[in-house]
Amino acid sequence: MKVTFALLIIIFLAFSGYHLTFRHFRLPLFARIFYLTGTEFLVLGLLLGPQFLNLVDPETQKGLAPVTALLLGWIGLLFGFQFEIKMLRRFPLEFFFGAVFEGLITLALVFAGVYLTLAICVDIPDSFMIVVAITLAAAGGCTAQTGLAFLSQDQIATRQNTVKLLRFISSIDGLIPLLVFGLCFFYHPSTSLNESWLGGLWPGILTSFGASFGLLLLFTLFISHRRFQQELILVVIGMTMLTSGLASSLNFSPLLTNFFVGFWLVNLSRDKERIYQILMTVEKPTYLLLLVFLGVCVRFDSIGLVLLALVYCLYRVFGKFLAGFLVTRLNTELRKYPGKLGFGLLAQGGLSLAILLDFQQAFSSRVSTAVISFAILAVIYNEFLSYYFLERLFKKGG
Amino acid sequence: MGRYKQYIPDLKIYGITLFILAGFALWIKIIHIESNWQQAGLTTFSLGFILLAAYMAAQILRIAGLPLISGYIFVGILAGPHISGFLTHDMVVRLRLADDLALSFIALTAGGTLELQFLRKRGKAILINIFLQTLFAFALVFLSFFFISNRLNLMPALTKPQIMVLACLLGVIAVARSPSSAIAIINECRAAGVFTTTVLGVTVAIDVLIIVMFTLAMTVSEIILGAGTGVDFRMVTVLTLAVTGSLALGIVLGKGISLYISKVGHDLSLFLLFFAFSVFKASIWFNQFMEAHFAISLHLEPLLICISAGFTVQNFSRYGYIFMEGMERFALPIFVIFFSLAGASLNLDALRMTWPLAAFLFIIRTMGIFGSTWFAGIINRDPPQHRRIAWMAYITQAGVAIGLAQLAQRRFPELGDYLTTLVLAVITINQVVGPITFKIALKRAGEVKQE
Repeated sequence: MKVTFALLIIIFLAFSGYHLTFRHFRLPLFARIFYLTGTEFLVLGLLLGPQFLNLVDPETQKGLAPVTALLLGWIGLLFGFQFEIKMLRRFPLEFFFGAVFEGLITLALVFAGVYLTLAICVDIPDSFMIVVAITLAAAGGCTAQTGLAFLSQDQIATRQNTVKLLRFISSIDGLIPLLVFGLCFFYHPSTSLNESWLGGLWPGILTSFGASFGLLLLFTLFISHRRFQQELILVVIGMTMLTSGLASSLNFSPLLTNFFVGFWLVNLSRDKERIYQILMTVEKPTYLLLLVFLGVCVRFDSIGLVLLALVYCLYRVFGKFLAGFLVTRLNTELRKYPGKLGFGLLAQGGLSLAILLDFQQAFSSRVSTAVISFAILAVIYNEFLSYYFLERLFKKGG
Repeated sequence: MGRYKQYIPDLKIYGITLFILAGFALWIKIIHIESNWQQAGLTTFSLGFILLAAYMAAQILRIAGLPLISGYIFVGILAGPHISGFLTHDMVVRLRLADDLALSFIALTAGGTLELQFLRKRGKAILINIFLQTLFAFALVFLSFFFISNRLNLMPALTKPQIMVLACLLGVIAVARSPSSAIAIINECRAAGVFTTTVLGVTVAIDVLIIVMFTLAMTVSEIILGAGTGVDFRMVTVLTLAVTGSLALGIVLGKGISLYISKVGHDLSLFLLFFAFSVFKASIWFNQFMEAHFAISLHLEPLLICISAGFTVQNFSRYGYIFMEGMERFALPIFVIFFSLAGASLNLDALRMTWPLAAFLFIIRTMGIFGSTWFAGIINRDPPQHRRIAWMAYITQAGVAIGLAQLAQRRFPELGDYLTTLVLAVITINQVVGPITFKIALKRAGEVKQE
């Protein structure tokens, strides 16, 4: 059995390598969506994981924990780098309104839907149910730009403003979901049952800010000299590991802590361009590794997961449609954009996956494994739906 | 003092940075660790801490003229289980994954650094050096240890044949060198020239030769102790197969790397990291597979595979330069992690227990190296300056020697404790002194291009 799977994996790797090498190879639409979103790497992870080949068994996963933390930290830093205030100020204010409210509305709707569904269908402790609902809502609130890559030049040319708004929203609408996701860590089931949530919240937030400040100071000291590229790589890797490690040891999110550090760096550091370049050189491999690591954690042992994924996907689609509609109606400046704006915001992408991996690592249990299994399936559903609805949004005369 | 004045602002920044880092390290030590997630976080933090603290400490020591890897090693020793205990034994073992990856990566670099053109020119000199160094280091350590052990009755619990075996194994292990340290210092100084190439060629070749020598020494030891009946030809065949198999596999994989560079090209550094890791893991898996299914201990040597692969890309393809550039991108973090962990693994307890004997063996080994390099220099008609300083380049010793001692411990448990303790103690001295002397040697040879 193992040999068969090993053969499968070799073919798979070869095919993936082929894809990476000959990127311009024309594929049918289904396969193109599959490849553009890197779904094959999720499947690769699934094959490598305990459910099939068991090459990456739970013990190996433990050994790889520093790599996972580095990965999450890297994504957090990258996301933080998107919030350069000087750059963001070039966009109209209503764009911020749109991005923030779209994220918030989707988050609230998905949270309500998921929480109710879990309360009715699943028997898990209430404290953990809230954590699961927040995580799924946060992952649902984020949007990726992958869908927009399918648009033709004609479609982009005729709807330039809409594309610009969609791009803006999908770049930064993860902010509120990510911050809200951070709340899960103050509501850790192991500690919060006997304590007041709010009681633990403020010391936690203060500690996080204090730690972030210390880390930022450290980062600044490291880059106070102009360093060679190799040295800068070392500093970025070292600081990301230090930050992620500190966050995990404090029972906090490496993703969010590194986001804070990234945010401060991009706004305060002289060397931001060089650091950004270093972060970007491994952006694609980081994303692919993220997919493989998530794939390893996934277990498909019940048909119910497919159904739950469908329900979660529907909540998200509904949330995005409604949020898109509301932001284009509540703000007068955004009224010129189509009410069906949410149609263009379905692709889920990297940050959602990072939130799911962060959750799986921090709240590791059978329930969390099941949760990320169906959530990942929902991410794949969303990617396919995204193409269909984008086409509808950009249809001539639509 | 005036010479150092210009460094005062830098030193202040380095000092403050190390102070904050130490503050974080103290803080994390008082956090109550409960879950696996927190434990993993502590490991991640430690790795980041070691990386940054070692880098900073090395910058400070560089001002004092010491090589960077000495800084990495000192931080490793300070953070390790024997001094501050920030890195516990468990953690050092857990971080072995990074260590293994680094070792394969360094071996790839070692292969890539060897240029056939230079080796052809210095082939004879390298061979003479290898022969004399092997002979002198082995003979001096073997004879002197055997002599003083018997004379001073240092090990009353051991019989004469056992002392002879111990001396023989110590003699062979004394021949081992540390290519990783050599490469790190050569990289740091961007050293190039006749002296550098000869040292690198000798060091890498001895790393291959030592495996063969050690196997022979084990066979001889078994005969002396009466456990063996004669030369085990099966073992010799398996060893030959393992060495040639590893080298051949390295050539094939080297061709694979060249193909990757020519056809794909992008993300080369990451590809090479992945390659080094895969070679290490796959070799271990293959060795276990052969033992479990065919009862053959055909051990493919990941280091030999990587050296051979690097050598192939450098010398039998057009992509040597691109390959070395790709290796350089992640070289610094890899070196820092590797040598800091090596520092943390140094056994100070062993040194404390056996320091007089360890110091004696260190001096004897160094004398052996001095004598051999001096004679080799005369035969090769090297410049007098090179003859005087060559010994300084061969003192470093690391992982391979420890590995060999552990293998011997398993084979001869009754000698194992003595051997491992002594070897660890001598390596501790060699690894602290060796990099410093090597850097001085490169400077005096006039082959340092960048400080």
